[in-house]
Order: sequence, then C-alpha cells, then structure tokens
Amino acid sequence: MKQKAPSGTLRRCLREVGNHKILVALSLLFAAAEVFFTLYTPLLFGQAVDRIIGVAKTDVSLVDRPLITAAAMTAACAVAAWLTGSLNNRMACRTVQSLRDGLYAKINTLPLSYLDSHPTGETVSRMSSDIDRFADGLLLGATQLFSGVLTIAGTLVFMLRMNVPITAAVVVLTPVSLFAAKLIAGRTYGFFSDQSNLRADQTALINETAGNLKTLRAFHRQGRYLGKFDALNDTLKKVSLKAVFWSSITNPVTRFVNSLVYAAVALVGAFTAISSGGAFTVGMLTAMLNYADKYTKPFNEISGVAAELQNALACAARVFEMLDAADEAPDGDLTPETVNGNVEISEVCFSYDKSKKLIEDFNLSVKQGQKIAIVGPTGCGKTTFINLLMRFYDTDAGTIAVDGVEIRQMKRRALRSRYGMVLQETWLNPGTIRENIAFGKEDASDEEIVAAAKRAHSWSFIKRLPQGLDTVIGEDGGSLSEGQKQLLCITRVMLCLPPMLILDEATSSIDTRTELRIQKAFDEMMTGRTSFIVAHRLSTILGADRILVMDKGRIIEQGTHEELLAKNGFYTKLFNSQFA
Amino acid sequence: MKRLLRYFRGYGKETFLAPLFKMLEALLELLVPLVVRNIIDVGIAGSDKPYIAKMCGLLALIAFVGFGVSVTAQYFAARAAVGASAALRRDLLAHVLTFSYADDDAFGASTLIARLTGDVDQIQNGINLTLRLLMRSPFAVFGAMIAAFAVDKTTALTFAAVIPALFAVVAAVMAVSVPLYRRVRERMDGSIVAQRSALTGVRVIRAFGQERTEETRFRRANALFTAASIKAGNVSALINPLTCVLVNMAVIVLLHAGAIRVNGGAMTQGEVVAQYNYMTRILVELIKLANLIITITKSIACANRVEKVLDTAPSMDHPEQGAVPDMTAPAVEFDGVGFTYPGAQESSVEGVDLTVRKGERIGVIGATGSGKSTLVNLIPRFFDATRGTVRVFGHDVKEYDEETLNRLIAVTPQKATLFRGTIRENLLWGNENADDETLAAAVAAAQAGDVIAAKAGGLDEPVEENGRNFSGGQRQRLTVARALVKQAPVLILDDAASALDLATEARLRKALAELPERPAVFTVSQRVSSVMGCDRIVVADDGSIAAVGTHDELLETCPVYREICESQGITR
Repeated sequence: MKQKAPSGTLRRCLREVGNHKILVALSLLFAAAEVFFTLYTPLLFGQAVDRIIGVAKTDVSLVDRPLITAAAMTAACAVAAWLTGSLNNRMACRTVQSLRDGLYAKINTLPLSYLDSHPTGETVSRMSSDIDRFADGLLLGATQLFSGVLTIAGTLVFMLRMNVPITAAVVVLTPVSLFAAKLIAGRTYGFFSDQSNLRADQTALINETAGNLKTLRAFHRQGRYLGKFDALNDTLKKVSLKAVFWSSITNPVTRFVNSLVYAAVALVGAFTAISSGGAFTVGMLTAMLNYADKYTKPFNEISGVAAELQNALACAARVFEMLDAADEAPDGDLTPETVNGNVEISEVCFSYDKSKKLIEDFNLSVKQGQKIAIVGPTGCGKTTFINLLMRFYDTDAGTIAVDGVEIRQMKRRALRSRYGMVLQETWLNPGTIRENIAFGKEDASDEEIVAAAKRAHSWSFIKRLPQGLDTVIGEDGGSLSEGQKQLLCITRVMLCLPPMLILDEATSSIDTRTELRIQKAFDEMMTGRTSFIVAHRLSTILGADRILVMDKGRIIEQGTHEELLAKNGFYTKLFNSQFA
Repeated sequence: MKRLLRYFRGYGKETFLAPLFKMLEALLELLVPLVVRNIIDVGIAGSDKPYIAKMCGLLALIAFVGFGVSVTAQYFAARAAVGASAALRRDLLAHVLTFSYADDDAFGASTLIARLTGDVDQIQNGINLTLRLLMRSPFAVFGAMIAAFAVDKTTALTFAAVIPALFAVVAAVMAVSVPLYRRVRERMDGSIVAQRSALTGVRVIRAFGQERTEETRFRRANALFTAASIKAGNVSALINPLTCVLVNMAVIVLLHAGAIRVNGGAMTQGEVVAQYNYMTRILVELIKLANLIITITKSIACANRVEKVLDTAPSMDHPEQGAVPDMTAPAVEFDGVGFTYPGAQESSVEGVDLTVRKGERIGVIGATGSGKSTLVNLIPRFFDATRGTVRVFGHDVKEYDEETLNRLIAVTPQKATLFRGTIRENLLWGNENADDETLAAAVAAAQAGDVIAAKAGGLDEPVEENGRNFSGGQRQRLTVARALVKQAPVLILDDAASALDLATEARLRKALAELPERPAVFTVSQRVSSVMGCDRIVVADDGSIAAVGTHDELLETCPVYREICESQGITR
C-alpha cells in the first residue's frame, strides 16, 4: 500500500495533468482570485467593525462603505470558487479518462506474454481502483494543495501588513500541529497495513464464496463458510477500529494546536491593542483572529490528505508501470495478394521461460486445403503451436511463412484475418447475440447471421431465447450453457469463413449428436481450407490429411492415421490409451 | 435506508455518545466568541492586562477540554462505524448464502463481490463521518444561533433567516447529487465489465482483428463514465460557494444593523464582533460539512446498492420443521413436472413423469440444452419446479427443511470446483464426521486413489483457490469422492466423468454399482457408454422426455436415442 512511489512519478503525474493546460491555467487563475477575495473580505469587515465606534458616534453610511465592497467581492468570490472547483473536477476527470483510455489501448499493444503472466484481476484493479484513487488524490491535491498554499501565502501577506509580532507568533506555533499529525500518521500506518492484509484475506474468502454459491448450496456448507468468515470479520473489526480511531484523532490534535494559536493571537493582539495607542484597532484584532484561523486551516487539510496523496502517487506509479511495459514487436507492413493457405514452418524454436526449452527445430510444410490434426499428451505444445501460428507469441528462432510471406513482415491483422479460430475456452463479449456472431463481420445482414447460425446448429437455441438475436448476454456468457457458448463461438467463425481454420478442442462441451452435425458443417467449411485441429476426438483424427504427434514441444511423429499405426510407436500408444 | 439503521442497534451506546460528545465539543467552541467579546469590551476597553491574560488562559483551557471531548467522540464514532459495518457485511454475506440458484444468476458473482467489499467499506466511512459531523453540524449551527440571540436579539434575526436557507442549499445539493453518484457507480460497473472482457478475450479479439472496435466501445463507456463524474462533481462543487455567499451576506446585514444599534446604544462593539464571530463559525462548520458531504453522498449511493441485495428475498423458503422422509417410498418421483427459467419464454423441462426407487441406476442423456441438467437440478431444489411436484422419499421437496433434504441427496455439479484448504477438508464437505476409512473408500470408488498418491501431502495436500493446482480430470474425480463421502440415498452425477478417459470411467461405473448403501444414482452424460449400463435411461429432447427404457429397448423404439448411439459409433 504505502510503498514509496518511484521518483519521477510526481513529475509524470504533473505531465499528465499538463495535457489539460488551459483547464489548469484557468483553475489557477480563479483559485488565486478566490483566495484573494476570501482574504480581503475579513479586512473589509474589520474596517466596518472599527467604524462602529460607539453610542451616537457611529456613522452608519461610513460603516456601509466597506460592506458594499465586501458584497461585490463575495459574489465574485463565489463565482471564482465554483469555477475553480468545477475546473479542477473536470481536469481530474479528463486526466484519468485519458489514462484509462491509454491503459485500454495498451492492452491491445501489449504482448500476450505480459497479459498471460498478469492475472486479470490485477490488471482490472489497475484500471479501476488504482486510477480512481489517483483521481481522488489529484482532485484533493488540486483543491487543497494549491489553494492551501495560496491561502497560507496570502494570509501571511495580509497579517504582516497589519502586525509583525502577532504574525511571527502564528508562524512559529503552526508547525506544532504538523509535527503532531506526523507523529500520529506514523502510528496509524502499522494498523492500516494490518487492516489491508486482513482485508485482502477477507476479499479472497468472499471471492471464493460468492463465486461458488452453487457448490456451497449443493453441500449445504453455507453455515460453515459463514463461521470462517465470522472469525476473520471479527479480527478485521478489531484492527479496523484501531486504524480508524487513530487516524481520526489527527483532526482533534491539529484543531487543539490551532485553538492554542488562536488564544495566543488573542493575547498578543489584545496587549498590542492596549499598548499601541490606537494604531492596532479592535477591528484589526478581529481580522487577525480570522486570519489566524484561515492560516492554520490549510495545514490541517494538507496534513490530513498527505497520506492519501502518498497513496495516490503509489497508485499512479502502478498505472505508469503498465503503460511503460514493452509493446509487441512492431507490425509488418505487407499484405500478401494471394490467399491460398500455404504454411511453411522452418526450424522454429520457442519457449515461454527462456531457461526451459520447449519447442525446438520445428519444421512443417502445409499445402493449401490440408487438414492437420495435432495430438499429444497435455503440455506437449499444442496450444503453443497456435500461439505461434497466430503470432500471439513470436518465435525465438526460425521462420513461419504464410503464402510465401514471413509472418513478421506481414500486418498482424492481415495474418490473423486469414484464420478462423475456435478456442477451447469460450469467450463472448457482453452484448447481444447478434453483436457476438457478427464480431468479425460487423456489416453482416440478419439473413447472413441466421444462415450461419443454422449451419452451426446454434439457431435452434437462439430462436428460443427471450429476445432471439437481440438477447443480451452478460459477463462470461451469462446464463448460457458451456455448450451453447461454444456453438456461438463456432457460429462467429462460420459467418466470416476465412481461408484457414484453427480449432482447439472446439467441440469438447457439445453432445456427440450435435457435434456430428457440426462436424458435417465443419467438413463443408474445411473443404479447400487449410485447417489446424487440436483434438482428442477420434472422428477428427481419422479425417485428417496429416497427424502431428507432439510430445514435450517436438513433433515426434507425423503421417496419416494408418501410417502412424503401422509405425507402432508413440502414436499407437497414445491412440490406444485415449481413443480406443 | 431503514433496513440499514438496525445495524446501529447493537451500538446504541456508541451512536448516542459519539454525537453527544460532538455536541459538547461544539458547545465549548461556542464559548470562544463570548470570551473574545469580553477581551474586547472589558479587557481592551479597560486596558486590563491581567484580565486579558486570564481570558486567554480560559481559551486555552477550553481548547484542552475540547480536545479530550472530541477524542472521546471519535472513539465512539469509530466503534459504531466499524462495528455496524462488520455486522452489515456479515448479514449481507449470510443473506447472499440463502440465495437460490436463480437469485445468484440474477445478480452475478462480480457485483455481489463488489457490494460485499467496496460498497460496505464506503458505508463504514460514511457512518463514521455522519456520526462525527452530520450530528455536530446542526448543533453547532443552531447553537451559534442561540448564542447570538443571547448576545443581541435584533441582530440575531439574521441568523434565523440565513440558517434555514443554508440547510436548504445543502439538502438540495445532496438530493441532486445522490442519484448522480449512483449513476457514476453504475457506469463504473459497466466500464469494469468492458475491461475484464478485453483481458479475458484478448486472443479472440486479436484473432478477429477487433482491437480498434473494442477500443472505441470502451472509449464510449469511459466517456459516459467521465461525463457522469464531471456532472456529479460540478453539482457538489456548488455547496461551498453558495454557503459562502449566504453567510457573507448575512455578515453584511449583521454589521449594518449592528452599526445602527451600537449608535443607538443598544449594543457594544464587542457584541457586534461576537455576532460576527458566530456567523463565521457557521460558515467554517458548513465548509467542513460540504467537504464531507461528497463522501456521505457516495456512501448513500453504496448503501442503496447493498440494500437492493438485502431486499431481494430469497426466491425459495424452507420450512423450519420439515417432513420426515419415508424410506420405504420411492426415492425420487417426478409428477407432471415442468420448469421455465425466470425471464425465459419457453420452458426448459415440460410434463415429466418418472418414479425412481432406491438402488436404481438412471441414466439421463440428451443434446446440449435439452434440459437434462435442469431436470436433475430440481431434485435437490436448486430450482423449484414451476409446474407439478418433485417428491423425494414420499414428500414434496418443498416440505423438507434444508438440512434433511441435503442429507438425502449428494450431487457432483457440472462445474468441478474445489475450495482452498486441503484435500481432506474438501472431502469432509460430504460429511464432517467421516473417518479415514470412509474417506479412503470414497476416494477408491471415485478412482481418485492415484490423484492422492501422486501428491506429496496425500490427503493433507493443500488445495489452492478454485482447486487450480489440480487438473480438470483430477478435480472431477475428487468432486465425485466428495459426494460419495456423504453416503446419501440419492446420488446425482451431473456430467461428472466428462474429463475421464473411457477405462477410468468404466471402473468408476463399476464401483458406483457396488456401493454398499445402494443409492438411487442419476448419471447425466452425453456419452452413451456412460449410461448404457443403467437400469433405465431417460432420453431428454428439447425439454421433454422422448423415451425411458433400457439401452436395448431404446435402440429398438427411440429414434433420437438411436441417432445419438450412431453418432458415437455404438450400434448394439
């Protein structure tokens, strides 16, 4: 939580804010006006008080003169204050808006290796709560720090003009409150970090509970989980009480110090008023007391928000860290004219963890329209193979060429649009069924969509949904079954019909009867199209032109089903254990 | 809000004492202008230095006592806020735990988690500030007014005029901004969904080359969120300037009227200063309030969200004292059962009649979306049948208390999840008191012996969150074992062997047939091989039962079943 933000973070934050120069400049201008008016008004009130001399000696019209000026200033002050507030608010909101947009855009340019190694929850928390906290800090900083500093400086000027000794007393005494606040903050920090650790534990438990309500219910374990939660909740309560209490006494402490300053000003001021023989008036004392109050207030506020600002900086640092992560290798610029679907893989080496070799000397030549089945035990490198084909990851050595063009020289989009991909994990976008099916072809007509759905056998369930194609599916596919989600993913590819296909155990959650129908549709789709199929199903393997048998990252055997069986090697063993 | 107020009940003392001490604190502060008046009217006017010194000492004393009082108030406020929100969080979780499958689906896990964590934290913050400030502010303001009346009634009338106006401003700004902040939070939810989706779907998005489109979509969501934030912020930013204007205008009126009255001999200069000081005190108080009103406003928006969960009555209730199962009656009976998912137009299950006795093995087979899972989910009351009756051991499932019904039925849900802890702890879910022998028997029957043998810790091997340190097949076998530990008279395996290879699954089937307690077993599967050995097979087709019979009978009579068999290369 409170780790120190790397140096330069503050400067970078200021640079981000600097993108909204006009807002900042206007805000500064209005804040200065606000502070000036706020500070000048007590002076006018003091003058009025001084002109209230006594019975029958007071000229009311003389009293009114500064009051009229004060009225005008108040109005101006209010306008300036609102403008400052709303400009700051706008500046903070706009700054974080562009940061959020930037982070989102960053997701699209980051290499998959980054995204695969950072849990989704962590990245989402950077984009949401970290940025939120940064926004809060920014707003606090803009309003408190800036107008605070201006107020302090302004008050000093006004006070010095009236009386030097009293001003000196105020200046000397005020840092005491800062010191006290710092003392308490040090104590509170320990409680806060205990609190955040416990809170993380509790959140993990809540995650597990709320995410698996169905299983909990199936075993009637609600009571037991509540018991676990209670124990944690009680401990958290105790620690939170300490953290909340200790942090909340900062304010009384600083207020106490300020009250003492106030008493001191009253004392010195009253003595001065007596001894100065009229040079230091009661009105000035009143104004002075008012200034003493105004002068100390920003110190309280700044000390109050110092911890939050620190925290905001730490959050900003996490955001910048992600923004600064290295991007994918630059895009190529070729878009091959021919679209045949020939793939040439030569001497490819690749591994995720560079100390552990995975794929080595991988050679494969695929001609247009061939069907390649990839089989092997878990972890043999099948998914990795797809990562390389789609250029989700770049090879460490060797080349992959599609239709005669090395894929690094090709536009990623041109490469990927040649493949239709159905992965094992189904992913659907929150939105309507129509939007999901037309994901790769936004201008598709309803007729095309329905036709694709019929061919992929998803139409029978789509038409039964409450709003048909316009049914909105929530996060993670909402209430659709795993099989239905998979059918939608297939429909999505069915609509685009690219020249090459990558199917990763695409049909594992679909019943065999439906699968058979889909298989027919696939067969039709695969005619003339190069296809790579990662499969555990017998039917897929038997229909393949070539089977790649992979183990530990290498292609150890390849050939047709009959050829491989005849070899009586690894494939035969695998086939007998998995398919026979 | 009413619902949330009861969480203060256990903290009656604190909720009473915190504002009380805050009032004391405010009261003490009200004395300050009076002392300053005396310094001016008595001390300065009479050039009485010892008197001034005494009065300043009094100011210091007031400050000291005020400090003690306010620390006490902060303590009680913290206790009440932390205590009440801990109780709220607990009740919220307890309430969520009573949700049926349908309620759970209606909310979705991520928003429930957000409400249990972030929203409750924000509420705690809000309670703390409310106790400390919302109570103090009216008191300080009205106290200042009363004190002003004590000083001089005529000039004090300005107080009576300006204070209602001030409260009206605060109330109006809050009334406008609460819904605005609620909208901000809702739009935040929307933006988080978009972010999550971009991350989980990164491969698909890139494969379809949709990065730009998705980015545009996000930018739109983000712009909406930003617009809502700016609007809410602009409205909140009104409080300060408006209160400032009102108070300063009041001061102007006050000084003008004061001047006339001093001239007429009805007031002293010191009294005018005192009135002026009281007025500025009101301003200071309100500025403090304005700065915190945003936090309070946000908490109210969060409280509304939490309340919405609490207000959702679980769509199912269970009798306290339920029926006693009649163990001689059929284990499970479906009597004209139909089920439609909430909001769906077409039913998922329709007109099902089926009687199953103890010891019978029933297979349920059918296409994706044919309603086979829905059918078995009605037995343990994960959902209530919308038509007809489901009976277990002679009684409608709705007549049992939760405990009894749960004891009668063991389930392995479709999604094989394990929980953080050890393997043993996970297995004990079926039966807390199971001894090692029972566990070993269940593990053996579930074909999970090699899973445990492969782990260094054996039964005490730690299980990570969601069981992610086990493979899909390992998890599946362990969840079967977990269900077997229960030794319930009805056992439901919902697609529980889909990740197992055929040989392992065959051994599992054999072991299940030999269970000593002879339960009624429901096996839901897409594989003919998983169900063909069952005593009877139910063929689900588009929400209704196409046929019931043995494998051989169905091959003869049921075209749907025959088609399924053919697709899997089974002819006999």
